[in-house]
This record gives sequence, C-alpha cells and structure tokens, in this order.
Amino acid sequence: MTPHDMRLQVDAYLDGELAAQDARELEQHLKECSECSSVRDARAALSTAIQRELPAFTAPEELRSQLRETLRSAKKSPAAGRRIAPPVWRWGALAAGVMLVALGGWELGSRRAADSALTGQVLASHIRSLMPGHLTDVVSSDQHTVKPWFNGKLDFSPPVSDFAGKGYPLIGGRLDYLGGRPVAVLVYQRRRHLINVYLWPSAGGPGGERSPVTRQGYHLLHWNSGSYVYWLASDLGLTELTQFAGLLRGGDSAAPQYRP
Amino acid sequence: MDQPELGRFEAILLPHLDAAYTLARYLTDNVDDARDVVQDAYLRALKYFESFRGTDAAAGRPWLLAIVRNAAFSRRKRYRIESKLAEFDEQLHSESVEDLHPEAELLGAVARESLHQALDQLPLEFREVIVLRELEGLSYKEIGEVTNVPLGTVMSRLSRARERLQRALGRAEEKLT
Repeated sequence: MTPHDMRLQVDAYLDGELAAQDARELEQHLKECSECSSVRDARAALSTAIQRELPAFTAPEELRSQLRETLRSAKKSPAAGRRIAPPVWRWGALAAGVMLVALGGWELGSRRAADSALTGQVLASHIRSLMPGHLTDVVSSDQHTVKPWFNGKLDFSPPVSDFAGKGYPLIGGRLDYLGGRPVAVLVYQRRRHLINVYLWPSAGGPGGERSPVTRQGYHLLHWNSGSYVYWLASDLGLTELTQFAGLLRGGDSAAPQYRP
Repeated sequence: MDQPELGRFEAILLPHLDAAYTLARYLTDNVDDARDVVQDAYLRALKYFESFRGTDAAAGRPWLLAIVRNAAFSRRKRYRIESKLAEFDEQLHSESVEDLHPEAELLGAVARESLHQALDQLPLEFREVIVLRELEGLSYKEIGEVTNVPLGTVMSRLSRARERLQRALGRAEEKLT
C-alpha cells in the first residue's frame, strides 16, 4: 500500500465511509502500526481545527427575503418558472444528448426565432459597450442632464430616471443602432455590474414579455410597455435584474411628467 | 409552476439556503459574488425543478449544492478569475506532497499561512471537497454527485486536500511554538 492509499483508507475510515469489514481490519492495523495511527491522530486534529477555524455561514436576511420575493413572483406568473432558455452551463448537457430537454424547448423556439436576431444584436452591443470608451456618450447621474442630451439625436424623448436611491444609480447614456433604427441606451450600475437599458418607441401595444435569456453569461430581459420596447442586458444576477426591471416599469408609467 | 409544486420547491430547497450560501462563500471571492451565485442557483433550480427526482429535503441538498457549485464555476470562468491559482490539473495537483522540492517548503509566504489561507490557496477542486465534507457534511457519494466525478476521485481529492491543509496547519503551529 502506498502512503497515499494508506491515508485514503484512514480518511474513509474517519469519515465513516469504510465497509464494516474493512473498518474492522483497519482498526486492527491501527493498533499495530504507529505510522498509521499517527496519520489518524493528525487527521482528527485537522478535522477539529477545521470545525474551529472555518465558519459555516448563515445567509444574510436580505438575501433570504429577496429569494422569498423571487419565489412569490414566480407564483404570480406561472410562465416564469418554465419558459427560459437554458443557461450556458446547461448547454453541455444538451449537447451530450439530453434530447428531451431540447425537444421540450423547441416548441417555444418559433416565436423566439423572430427575436433571436435582435437578441444577438443587443448582446453584441452590450459586450461592445463594455470595451474601454464605448459605454457612454454622456456621463451623468442626473436624469435632467441625460434626458435632454438625447434631444435632436433621436426622434423620441426617452423616459430617464435615476434609481440611485434604490441602489441602481444612472451613470449615463448613449446612442446605438438596433433592429434597423437608432435607439436610446441608458446605463445603470449595481455594485460592479453594469446594466444597459435599450429602449425605443413601441409600434404595437403592450405585451411581448419574454422570460430572461442567458447568453454567454449575460442576462437579457425584454418587454414592451405599450409606449416603449425595452431590452436589458447585464451580468447582474437575475433576481436583482428583475427587480431593476420592475423599477424601470414604474419609471416608464410615470414618464409623461418628465416630458418637456 | 403551480402552487403545490412551488410549495414543494420551497419545502425541499429553502432549508438549504445556509448550506448554499456557505458553499458559495468558499467558492467565490467576496460576499457580493456569493449572493449573486446563490440567487442565480435558486433561479436555475426553480427552472429545472421538474428534473429533480428526489422526494425530501435531504435529497434536495446535494442537488441544490451541485447547482450552486456550477453557478460559482461558470461565474469564475465568465470573469476569467485566474487569481493566484493555476488551472486545475488532476495529475499535477495530485503529486504527493513529499515529492515537492524541499526549497518550496521554505518559501516564507507558505510558512505563514493559517488554515484559512491554506484553504484559500487550494485549487478549487480540492477546496470544494473539504467544504462539502467538513462543513456541509456530505457523504462521498453525494460529493461525487455535486462535483460530477467518480467516487475514487472524490476520495483521492479529499485525502490530498487534507494532506495539504495538515501541512499548512503543522507549519502554523511550528511558528507559534
């Protein structure tokens, strides 16, 4: 038995993972072999030290309540639980042949196909914006600076709100070109995460809300408020990004009062 | 997801929030990342709850921790967190400690490390088995499910990880006395 195999046996023994017969044999051996029994003692000491020095954490209350909120909202919109593109880590499993999942997802594919070109454009724009110097054309946390900046550059005046009070400060805006038209982009920040908000006037009525899509590690959210088409792109966690989307919707419904 | 199903989700997975958070804390670099990872993991768990085959909260624990683990790993990958850790190489990192060049042991930084620092410096694949076994109390079989490796690999990684920590602890004590 190599020293490694011997330690492995002692570990499995202390972890209660040895079969009864093997455990009895090892116990016998430990009585006779000082080398092995010193390994056992050292491992026991290590285990004690780990229990003493390495904490098991308690989830912050804030996280707990955020999760409860997320689950409550899943309760309200039954679709939210099901209609979502598989996150990146799942793609490997799909490729490996979990065809049922793929087929199940396929039904949802048709409507998404129409949007997929736009999804790709939003994603590309988001990634481009993260490159140095591409993020903002106007840098300001003041909604009354950012909003007029768009005047004359677009054929609409986008609703602009700062949510610094809620932990999502506005850091600026820029122009972009998506789906064959110029669009407004508002840039917000949450801790170290950037959020790009793309919006342009809606042609149809409200609706068109889609479950979040995850591509290349970025979450994309999309909805139509009736007045505007919205796309959000960020690497922020989905829970918080969804919360932020809620703030934006509130801001949009209050939009007329900001109109010059 | 209908109401009873959501109730089942909560009953099976919410009790493991602290366990999920603990694993996330040890697999990420800071509190913010750990929170993001846990939130992402619960959302992923919600989406894929249909594929959960267990019936009770005990079975939900390794299932959820596997999702937390994957969320943490894909996050690290996404941000290409190289930190001070080299890419994990089963062969390379499994070389027995005795084979290390004696000079390596004399490097001052190594000698000063506490158990916590020693854990931080383990390759993630070693660190996670320690956390899963010692702090989360998972069986070898469950650790294999979470980390998606065979039982033999679990045993081997755990033993080697402990060996490294033990050395670090020995050095720390040596320094104290």
